[in-house]
Amino acid sequence: MPSFITPALASKEKEFAQLIKDNQGLIIKVSRLYTNSLEDEEDLFQEIVLQLWRSYDSFKGNSKISTWMYRVALNTAITLFRKKSKSLPTNELDINHADFIEDDDDKQQQVSLLYTVIKTLPNVERAIVMMYLDDLPYKDIAENLGITEVNARVKMNRLKKTLKEQMEKYA
Amino acid sequence: MPEFDLDSFKKTWQEQPVQQKYGSSEILQMLNKKSRNYVKYIFWISAAEFLFFTLIGLFYIIQGKEANSFLNILDKLGVQKTPELELTFDNIYLVLKILSLLVTAYFVYRFYLNYKGIKVEENLKNFILKIIQFKKTVNAFILINIALLVTFTSIFTVFIVYILNTQNIEITNATLVGFIAGTVISTVFTVLMVWLYYRVVYGIIIKKLDRNLTQLKEIESQEI
Repeated sequence: MPSFITPALASKEKEFAQLIKDNQGLIIKVSRLYTNSLEDEEDLFQEIVLQLWRSYDSFKGNSKISTWMYRVALNTAITLFRKKSKSLPTNELDINHADFIEDDDDKQQQVSLLYTVIKTLPNVERAIVMMYLDDLPYKDIAENLGITEVNARVKMNRLKKTLKEQMEKYA
Repeated sequence: MPEFDLDSFKKTWQEQPVQQKYGSSEILQMLNKKSRNYVKYIFWISAAEFLFFTLIGLFYIIQGKEANSFLNILDKLGVQKTPELELTFDNIYLVLKILSLLVTAYFVYRFYLNYKGIKVEENLKNFILKIIQFKKTVNAFILINIALLVTFTSIFTVFIVYILNTQNIEITNATLVGFIAGTVISTVFTVLMVWLYYRVVYGIIIKKLDRNLTQLKEIESQEI
C-alpha cells in the first residue's frame, strides 16, 4: 500500500507522538476513570489520542499542554463514552475494590480504592476531582468543563466530603 | 484507614506509577485509524472497481460477446446485419466504454485526492468539511454512474430506432411494445441493481463516516 505521508506531516506526526508518549500517564488516568474494563480503557485511550491529534493545530502554544490535554481527554471521555462510563453503583464497590487488592503497596491500594470511589461519581464530578488531584487551578478546571469558577469550587468542596466519607467507609 | 484527606493525598495520586503502555510507533498507528481509514477503503474499492470494469471491458472488446447479443436483438427485430452497421455499432460501443472508464478513472483520482487531503488535514473544522466534501464526491460518483447507464441505454435505443428507420423496417405493435417494455424493465432493473450495489458497498462505509462526523461535531461544539 503506498504511503501518502509528506515529510512535513511525518515530522509533525512524530513530534505529536512524542508528546503523547511523554504525557500518556494523563490519558491513561482519564481512560481508567471513565471505563470499567481494560478493553474499553484502551479504546478510550485511542479515541482521546485521535481527538488530540485533530485539535493539535488549534492547541499549539495557546494553552498549557496539560490543560489542553485534559480538556480534550475529558470531553472525549464524557461525550463519546457516555454510555460505557456509567457510574458504578456504590454496592459494587467491594467487588471492584477486590480487583485492586493485589497491589502490594499500601499507598497503591489507596490509589486503587480512590479510583473505584471516583468512578461512583457522575461524569463531570469525576473530571473535577481528577483535575483537582492533578493540581489544575480552579480557573482551568472551570474553563475545561464550561462551568463557572465558583461553581467548580462549590462542587469540589462537596466532593471532598463525599470522597472522604466513601474512602473511610470502604478502607 | 486513618482519616482520609484528599488534599494530602494529592502527592500520592500524582506520584502513582502509571505504566507507560504505548510507544511512539503505536501512537502513530492510532492516528491512521477510523475516518481516514474509511476514506481509504472507498478509494481502494473504487480503484478495484475501475480495474474490474476495465478488464471486463477489454475482455468484451476482445470477445465481442456483448456486441453480438446486441446485434442479435437487432436481428430479431428484422434488421439486416451489414458490415457498415456493425462498424457503426462497434464505434459507438467503444466510445461509450471509454467514456465510462474515463469517468471511473476521474473519480478514482478524486477519491485519491480526497484521501490525501484528509491525511494532511489536521484542523478539526477542516477535517469535518473534508469528510462532507468526500461524501459529496461519493454521491456524485453514484449518481453519474446511474446517469451513464440510463444514457447508454437511451443511445442504444435511439440507435435501434434509427436503424429501423433507415432500413425501412415496419415492426408490429406487439414487437414494438415488447421491445420498449423489455428495454424499460431491464434498465430499471439494472439501475436498481447498481443503486443497491453502491448503497451496500459505499453505504456501509458512509454510515460509519457519518457516525464519526456526528462525534466530531459533538466534540467541536464542546470545545468552543
